[in-house]
Amino acid sequence: MQEISSYLAPRRLDQALQAMADGAATVLCGGTDLALQTESGARHYKAKLLNIRRIDGLTGIEVKADQVRIGAATTVSDIRGNPELATIAPVLVEAAEHFASEQIRNAASLGGNICNASPAGDMIPPLLVLGASVELACWRDGAVQTRLMPLEGFFVSPGKTVKLAEELLTAVVFDRPAADFVARFKKSGPRPALEISTVSLALGARLSNGKLSEVRVAMGSVAPTPLRARHVEAVLEGKALDAASIAAAVASAAEDAKPIDDVRASAWYRGHLVRVFVEEVLNDVRGN
Amino acid sequence: METKVTAAPIAKTTLIGQRVKKPDAPDKATGKTRYINDMVLPQMLIGKVLFAGRPHARIIRIDTAAAAKLPGVYAVLTGKDAAGLKFGFVRDNVALKDKVRCEHDEIAAVAAETEEIASRALELIDVEFEDLPGVFTPEAGAATGAPLVQEKFPGNKSLSFEFKHGDLAAAERASDFVVDNVFRPHHVTHCCMGTSCAIADFDHNGKLTIWTQTQYPYNYKMDLAPALGIDPGDIRVIQPPIGGAFGSKLDVYPYEPIAALLAKKTGRPVKVIYTREEEFRASPTRQAAIIHMRTGCSRDGTLTFRSADVLLDNGAYTSWGPTIPVIMMRTTSGHYRVPVVDFKAQAIYTNNPYAGSFRGYGNVQTTYATAQQMDMLADLVDIEPLEFHLKNAQKSGEYTPQQSFLRECALAECLETAAAASDYSRKRKEYAAARELPGRYKKGIGLASSIHNAGGAKIHKSDGIGTMLKVDDFARVTVITGASEIGQGIDAVITLIVAEELGVPLEHVTIVNTDSDIAPWDVGVHASRTTFIAGNGTRRAAKKAKAQILNAAAKMLGEPLETLELRGGSVVRDACGTPLIELERLLRRMHFQTEPELVMVSDYYEPNSEPEGAKHVSDHSAAYSHAVHIAEITVDTLTGEIKVDKVTVAQDVGRVINRMGLEGQIEGGIAIGLGYALSENMRLEQGLLKNPCFRDYKLITAPEMPPLDLHFIESNCAEGPYGAKGISELPTIVIAPAIANALHNATGVRIFNPPLSPEKVARAIFDAKQAGS
Ligand SMILES: Cc1cc2nc3c(=O)[nH]c(=O)nc-3n(C[C@H](O)[C@H](O)[C@H](O)COP(=O)(O)OP(=O)(O)OC[C@H]3O[C@@H](n4cnc5c(N)ncnc54)[C@H](O)[C@@H]3O)c2cc1C
Repeated sequence: MQEISSYLAPRRLDQALQAMADGAATVLCGGTDLALQTESGARHYKAKLLNIRRIDGLTGIEVKADQVRIGAATTVSDIRGNPELATIAPVLVEAAEHFASEQIRNAASLGGNICNASPAGDMIPPLLVLGASVELACWRDGAVQTRLMPLEGFFVSPGKTVKLAEELLTAVVFDRPAADFVARFKKSGPRPALEISTVSLALGARLSNGKLSEVRVAMGSVAPTPLRARHVEAVLEGKALDAASIAAAVASAAEDAKPIDDVRASAWYRGHLVRVFVEEVLNDVRGN
Repeated sequence: METKVTAAPIAKTTLIGQRVKKPDAPDKATGKTRYINDMVLPQMLIGKVLFAGRPHARIIRIDTAAAAKLPGVYAVLTGKDAAGLKFGFVRDNVALKDKVRCEHDEIAAVAAETEEIASRALELIDVEFEDLPGVFTPEAGAATGAPLVQEKFPGNKSLSFEFKHGDLAAAERASDFVVDNVFRPHHVTHCCMGTSCAIADFDHNGKLTIWTQTQYPYNYKMDLAPALGIDPGDIRVIQPPIGGAFGSKLDVYPYEPIAALLAKKTGRPVKVIYTREEEFRASPTRQAAIIHMRTGCSRDGTLTFRSADVLLDNGAYTSWGPTIPVIMMRTTSGHYRVPVVDFKAQAIYTNNPYAGSFRGYGNVQTTYATAQQMDMLADLVDIEPLEFHLKNAQKSGEYTPQQSFLRECALAECLETAAAASDYSRKRKEYAAARELPGRYKKGIGLASSIHNAGGAKIHKSDGIGTMLKVDDFARVTVITGASEIGQGIDAVITLIVAEELGVPLEHVTIVNTDSDIAPWDVGVHASRTTFIAGNGTRRAAKKAKAQILNAAAKMLGEPLETLELRGGSVVRDACGTPLIELERLLRRMHFQTEPELVMVSDYYEPNSEPEGAKHVSDHSAAYSHAVHIAEITVDTLTGEIKVDKVTVAQDVGRVINRMGLEGQIEGGIAIGLGYALSENMRLEQGLLKNPCFRDYKLITAPEMPPLDLHFIESNCAEGPYGAKGISELPTIVIAPAIANALHNATGVRIFNPPLSPEKVARAIFDAKQAGS
């Protein structure tokens, strides 16, 4: 049986962090993962249920000259409808576009998508190719302490991250992409709406004079965590984007993607889709 | 008697074929409707069921002491409380089991003050199992030495069916082309928006009142009684609004007797309501089957024979579901003119969840095979497919080998209409030619058709309906009918027919049909029968009332009877529409005159059809109908995703009654059929369901619904109400093979085991390429 002894909905960050300090609080944001997991018994509530949606400053998209900062409680709908993001990081808006349904997008938060640490979390591959970092905060020594770490090192296994129980994810930050930055997102599933990704893929790179640099490729649902596809990246780094480099990238995808068979798809199909998507996004960027 | 004539003439109009809204639509759309799931009775307890959670096991020990002691718990029942109370089509089921035969076997039940207490009590029940080896496919079940699912059924054999007509060996020899395939239709389930729910209450005279979702209230009493050891006459069935049935409520399922047994034990009303996960695990499925089908034809494209050897996955118990071969064989023998037929079906017990009836009733599985084989044969003969279909299409006045009499047959017209509207022949040729050209996305077009009973199906001794109709002093009409409303829209049809016959506004018609103590006999909502049967019943009753009213009017007004008509709430002169007296006033005068009369009539209608019979040679429906679907799709040959761009439908509906209801039934039927074709799949591994949720069990959602181009062919059925035929199952039946044929047209691959999921399609295309290169 799950017994929640108290429900908290603080307005201030320090109040929330103090409530979390003993590691005995369950964080609730949109609840679109949490409610399902507790309902099915896969997860149990801790003594305190902490609603973080009312915390000042935890919601919002801030685009500065050199940096973008998105509050953890920002909803997927907010991201989908943000005109500034649509120009500087359309890949994120694209992922929001293919996310769940209207109702779920209105509730689902960016922070929740990351902290849920599903290999199929759709906002994660685009953030990985944007080189995003996560900001974690906790209450220690009588004060709010924060640390910033690359998103890439955040995931441990399905549902597990390096975040400590007393830490709250407060924001996602990434450098404003360069003018020649190109990016794409692809997601697959049998339905166009309300679909958990069978495989997802994001590409981000600078493209000038037909050559790729600072290449980042991220994959979802091909391993226990979302991952950076280092082999594909290495094959493409510094190369001209042509039929040969695309073929080489496709051929190397299998070295990064180590999918499994599960109820949604076979390992064969996931591996196949990764190759299809690598080819598709590269061709798309190339302009044919 | 003198009448003042002041009002303007009332013009003759008809409601037949108009768009009429469902009377309950505003309440449903605004959330006002109180579904059975919302109902709370005073003193009501909540019942919850403990499921086995394993496919095959002996129960060594079951200890309920701790659960029974929990405060708030009023009863805990186990297998011994239902011992000997066998129910089901072959009496192989009990409400609570002492042996486990499938994952959802109900092994204990509690009634408690709240759902939370009931759930906690279930956790306190201690069960020791000894797992047994199981069988999870019909082949495994049929194998010699296979573990027995039901001890009394050797060889795991449940029901079997056979129909033979003509000399098969000779027909095979005479065939120039034969296609021979094994189709493996899969398990799907109904996914009613309202989960299973029943509320039971006994009075102190031993009479049971059960509020339930049943779609066949009268036979339901017969089926429920043995599960409780009571007389069917002591059961009163009340049918509150429900969130869908689609055939799943055409049977007694264990949660219903469980609610009743708990109510009996506690002396209080008990409600059992499933969670969505329980619904997925513990409600009926469409039968998975293995269909070995062969169809032959001669060089000129004339069909020579069709044979089908079917193994059905019965699951652990026999419900009405395994009687589907009755319909499967009608399609095998009657889908196009097939001179020689050989049909065999055997249902095999397995440790899978057990199958029930589901919209389409076996015809979904069979047509998936027959309609693809027609497409294959057309290519083998190398004949224009439309011509091939037309050549073999039956015509009005023909009999099928099983003696289905196709009195009004519009198959050819359906074929021609759909093909012309979609430019089928040209596109099919063009897309096939483009198959080998480069390009990731391929277009395909596919045609499928089928036949289905459209005037009831006399699988019981009766296929009839009782109707009572009264008209009160305010000219308000009440129809008391056996016809159940489960969302399909018979309420709108009955209202429309009464308004048509009696010339009253639609809003002045009330239907009473939710209480078996009031409503007369009917055999339930199934077999696409209700508009046909209840439509006729309603019309006949309304005509009797009308005759009584007009006779009285003729006498009172001194007008010749044959010149009078009911129109616009008045008695009018038929020829000119001149109103003579308002209906309300006439009715009051009839009521309060010296020889008073009330308008209340009754009717029993039994359709003109023959009982199915053990030999299956009979005209078992009062009408048959055909539909043709042409699906146009785009296939992503790399991801395997199929996008359905458009579906053209031509269906023989006899006559359109309520156009809006008809459109709704066809759209809804296609949504179910598309889910079957593309995405829905119960993933069973060793009898355990791996996807008991909507995240992983994929229904078709709104964005995937393609545009539909609907053509209603009106063949004017002599026996049907105003010429109408039953229409509701064909849309679900025909769409899947149309998609499969389109997939073949686009890519050259065929998939024999639906659904045509992206992965299967991608794999088939990939493998075909590997084999080709
Ligand atoms: C029908 C449906 C469809 C879906 N479709 C998609 C889809 O297409 N793509 C996709 O990626 N996901 C999908 N999801 C999953 C889910 O909606 C997302 O993962 C969503 O982003 C989770 O956000 P939330 O705010 O609802 O998280 P919650 O459920 O509130 O929280 C999720 C987890 O993160 C923790 N948490 C939340 N915020 C913080 C924080 N700031 N700091 C620390 N811990 C935190 C919670 O404690 C919990 O463990 C779907 C879910 C449903 C029900």
